Amino acid sequence: MFSRRMVIIVGVIVLIGVNIIFLFITSRHRSSFYGLNQFAVPFVAPFQKAVTRSIYFAKDVWTHYFFLVSVANENDHLKKKLRKTIGRNQELNEIALTNSRLRNLLKFQQTTAYKALAAEVVGKDPSPWYQTIIIDKGNAEGVKKWQPVIIPESIVGHVMDVSTHYAKVLLVVDRNSAVDATVQRTRARGIIKGEAKGRFLFNYVLRKDDIRIGDKVVSSGFDGVFPKGLPIGSVSGVIRRNSGIFQEVYVSPHVDFEKLEEVMVLLNHTRHDFVSQE
Amino acid sequence: MIYCLYIAVSLWLIILQVTLIPLLPFSDNIYDLLIPYVLYLGLFRPAWKTLPIIILLGLVMDNLSGGPFGLFTSIYVWLFLGAIWMRTFMHASNMFLLPFVVACGVLLENVVFIGMVTIFEPDFRFPEDALRIATIQVLSALGTSPIFLIFYNYTHNRWDSWMFKRSREAGR
Repeated sequence: MFSRRMVIIVGVIVLIGVNIIFLFITSRHRSSFYGLNQFAVPFVAPFQKAVTRSIYFAKDVWTHYFFLVSVANENDHLKKKLRKTIGRNQELNEIALTNSRLRNLLKFQQTTAYKALAAEVVGKDPSPWYQTIIIDKGNAEGVKKWQPVIIPESIVGHVMDVSTHYAKVLLVVDRNSAVDATVQRTRARGIIKGEAKGRFLFNYVLRKDDIRIGDKVVSSGFDGVFPKGLPIGSVSGVIRRNSGIFQEVYVSPHVDFEKLEEVMVLLNHTRHDFVSQE
Repeated sequence: MIYCLYIAVSLWLIILQVTLIPLLPFSDNIYDLLIPYVLYLGLFRPAWKTLPIIILLGLVMDNLSGGPFGLFTSIYVWLFLGAIWMRTFMHASNMFLLPFVVACGVLLENVVFIGMVTIFEPDFRFPEDALRIATIQVLSALGTSPIFLIFYNYTHNRWDSWMFKRSREAGR
């Protein structure tokens, strides 16, 4: 009744359809495949770690022993900078003391000191369309899913998958990442979404909010993943259209995510689900 | 024994792809280096022996990527099946046509990725740099894939002749 060719064509179309449905499901329910989505990391990551260490070692040897031409100039520059920083530090110490006195007066809750675990970046996402990294700390070191990953200058992302000694981190620049954020100066709120390489989209910022280029954007703490007040980036573009309730705001990150080498995982900051446990 | 070679080449390519290439300043413009290997296996090696390697490669890449689970596996399996189908009408050793086959593979992968990030994601937004990245990757695949294909062909042929020699010596 049907030719062999016809059966093959129909079979291929059905398979493509099944494949698309499967990918649709997996894109909605990430990280729930009975460990199948984590099995390779413990095998591949040690090789990645070895290669990464060798490269950094070679880089270190080059920059510390052979490439010393610019070091003297840099040293002078850093000395000047240090002098300025010492002065600034004195001022900040004074401010911190005043702040602590005022907090005591107002009976403010003491800000929690987070326990940070340093981790080395051993690998990056094989595809330019997704932004993840693999770090050399896992379950055994106390890393759990959803823990925030930061560096002193900025938020980096959150833990997405964990194996015994390695973890996969979804970077904030990934399109699937979202961070509840606020503008430091005006306290305008919105959601930071990863966009093209090198910038974020600051969504749902009301048109009436005053936002200027250069404003600092920090985490608001309302997403339940990232603690409040962590730096994210600076406003690099604002488009306020004549209609609509939101304005289009672009934010440039403080870090180059391509050059991440070490990060810190905040261990004692747990995610708040805001869902009642039955 | 041939599986040792397949696994060694695959592991080397994966390490190159996820550890060394990201350190380069133009890493976005470098295409998925596993595509020439998947197509090579589909075009030159016995299909049923290499299919498990293709699936394993896809699963490992899915593990290392932040994309939806099964995305790399699907792409590699379809490319592999396409390569097997091409064997029915294309002369596999035609070194002039092979770079175009690899470039088509790279283009297909990019189309699938762009489709995934635009259609399946909650807020439909076409990536600004998508066309630039895809074009550069396809062009670089056209230019550099013959080097990889020649290397794979050479190493696999050497391995086969070495294994053949060993088995003959063992038979004596």
